[in-house]
Amino acid sequence: MQPALSKTSPVRSGEASTKLTPSSRVSEAMRLLLIEDDLQAAEYLIKSLREHDYEVVHSPDGRDGLAKATSERFDVIVADRQLPHLDGLAIIAKLREKQDRTPVLILSALGTVDDRVHGLKVGGDDYLTKPFAFAELLARIEALSRRAAPAAQEVTRLKFGDLELDLLARRVMRDGKQIDLTAKEFQLLEYFMRRPNQIITRTMLLEGVWNLHFDPQTNIIDVHMSRLRNSVDKGFSKPLIHTVRGTGYVLKDEQ
Amino acid sequence: MSSSQFRLSASRVALLYVLIFSAGISSVLVAVYFLTARVLDREVDVIIQAEVTGLVEDYRRGGLLQLIDTLNRRADSWGRTGAVYLLADSSGNRIGGNIARWPNEFASSEGHEWVEFEIDASEHGGIVTHPVRAHLFRLPDGVRLLVGTDILERTRLASRLRNAMLWGTGLCVTLAALVSMGYSRGVRRRVSSIAATCENIMRGDLTQRLKIEGERDEFDELSSTVNHMLDRLQQQTEVLRTTFDSAAHDLRAPLYRARVRIEEALQHADMATSARATMEATLSELDRVQRTMGTLLQIAQAEGHGNELEMELVDLTALGRELTDLYQPEASERNLTLSFSGTDAVKLRGNQQLLAQALVNLLENALKYVPAGGHIDVAVSQTEGNAVLEVADNGPGIPEADRQRVLQPFMRLERDRQQAGSGLGLSLIAAVMRLHRATIELLDNQPGLKVRWVFGRDSVIRDS
Repeated sequence: MQPALSKTSPVRSGEASTKLTPSSRVSEAMRLLLIEDDLQAAEYLIKSLREHDYEVVHSPDGRDGLAKATSERFDVIVADRQLPHLDGLAIIAKLREKQDRTPVLILSALGTVDDRVHGLKVGGDDYLTKPFAFAELLARIEALSRRAAPAAQEVTRLKFGDLELDLLARRVMRDGKQIDLTAKEFQLLEYFMRRPNQIITRTMLLEGVWNLHFDPQTNIIDVHMSRLRNSVDKGFSKPLIHTVRGTGYVLKDEQ
Repeated sequence: MSSSQFRLSASRVALLYVLIFSAGISSVLVAVYFLTARVLDREVDVIIQAEVTGLVEDYRRGGLLQLIDTLNRRADSWGRTGAVYLLADSSGNRIGGNIARWPNEFASSEGHEWVEFEIDASEHGGIVTHPVRAHLFRLPDGVRLLVGTDILERTRLASRLRNAMLWGTGLCVTLAALVSMGYSRGVRRRVSSIAATCENIMRGDLTQRLKIEGERDEFDELSSTVNHMLDRLQQQTEVLRTTFDSAAHDLRAPLYRARVRIEEALQHADMATSARATMEATLSELDRVQRTMGTLLQIAQAEGHGNELEMELVDLTALGRELTDLYQPEASERNLTLSFSGTDAVKLRGNQQLLAQALVNLLENALKYVPAGGHIDVAVSQTEGNAVLEVADNGPGIPEADRQRVLQPFMRLERDRQQAGSGLGLSLIAAVMRLHRATIELLDNQPGLKVRWVFGRDSVIRDS
């Protein structure tokens, strides 16, 4: 049901507890290929991505984009679904044919129910409907670039700070005390524990935890999050789950 | 819609045709038979009457002796004309004539009477029974006279005529039945083929056309007219779709750029708080426009491109439970009771995301309209092979007169005008139901609204 979840493993778990926010990356810059024919929009995306320390290469059409994607190495590719000469799905198909596993995020037009299914079928990794908030795109690019790191073997235990998740016993401990969660709350917390220090948007939670690929009118995620935070953070020395204004949430061990 | 409920019509017409045809044919033949038989009878009677008149004349002129003489002279008439005579005294003893004795069955006969009896005659070394028709009457001095004639030929003719009539009627009825059976089968075949094509067209494939069989009959004429209509319809739909698609596309790009630009502007901190608030409000308005457009496009896709959508196995019970759970905290925040009932998996072929979207729309409607303290009950069940999902609440409900109207895009109840919302929620649900060939009913929950989805047995997947 949730391919994103099963493929992902805790790339960096919390024991390092280094501050790791998207903009304070110390290692070399992430390289990103943006294949987008809307030049005005592309211009803004490139600018904003560079502000977040991404090294961005832009290509305005499908054929050129594919050439760039195959000749250079990128951490993430963001490709529009509809492009001149060669569409986004064809680019992914060609890359996968060549055993190129570079994560690809597809930007798709509005109101196309099955585009996501088709995109994932040909080997796309994530999918975003235009128009989107930049923060949403950034969060997803972050998630994809981390996913690209070599996967550790399947774990049975997730640890972050003093919070510990036993995936087999479905048990949560914090600071030696057991925390009772419903099955869904457990799933929600697991989603965060597998992506520590990563900004998680509400849409990502709807997709990853509830398998809903559309945005409901009411903001139902916040109520669930506040319940989870009540269980996980209330009565402990410091909160682990933080709100990121206008974007979503992050599991972070702040001083 | 199945065509089985209409299947009777063609055969009913054919049956009626056979009945009317048979009644007509048999009444003509029966009339011919009876008329012919009567003519033959009359002919015999006229001959006998003429003989009687002659014999009575003899009797009046020469008395009994003259009559006996005449009868004796005509004794051989049986072989020639088939005429029979008998003159007998009052106790039935023969006085003259060409038959042996007065027929027993008429021994007590008084006065005038027409009778029919049988005579055995030896012919060609065998005995042949001849039917005879005769006139009996009594002469003034108590002597009785029988004048008759052999009617074997007439009887044979009548029976041949009767047989011909029966065979003729039978043959005609059989032929008519065969012809009309063939006709009704042909009609049924063409109608089924037209119905099947129409079903496909209704499911969104406007490229299909009715088959022209080249028989230049009414069906071909009808098919060709319908095909012309479909051409026209397809053309219009195509125009509408391209207009809609390009409008959507042309709106998408500026919408996307507008959003991008406002976001970009918002990133720069050097901005008055009021300006920032205005821009943030504009951004959320843009998102509302985007949502409305997205929903419209989804409706269009569900209605028009239904065949292209991926159908997968969906467990309606699991979906109902999951989404009820998702809205549970929201419901308790609003002091509403949200419950789910349904235990066994109810599996059907459907589009998971569209069904989830439809149920989310229903739940959000209920959350929006049911006042605090109310309850919302979601139930999934399988009854008589159909999958049924119900969302019932005790909110304000929808007046009966408006229930069909609210399923159409942008139709909202007067009392809800102030509420936020696009007026597309229910019409998306209706489109999704049509795509799944399911029905949607808005019912009175007394008080409140009960929305019922019924998925036909064709979409339900039974565990094998």
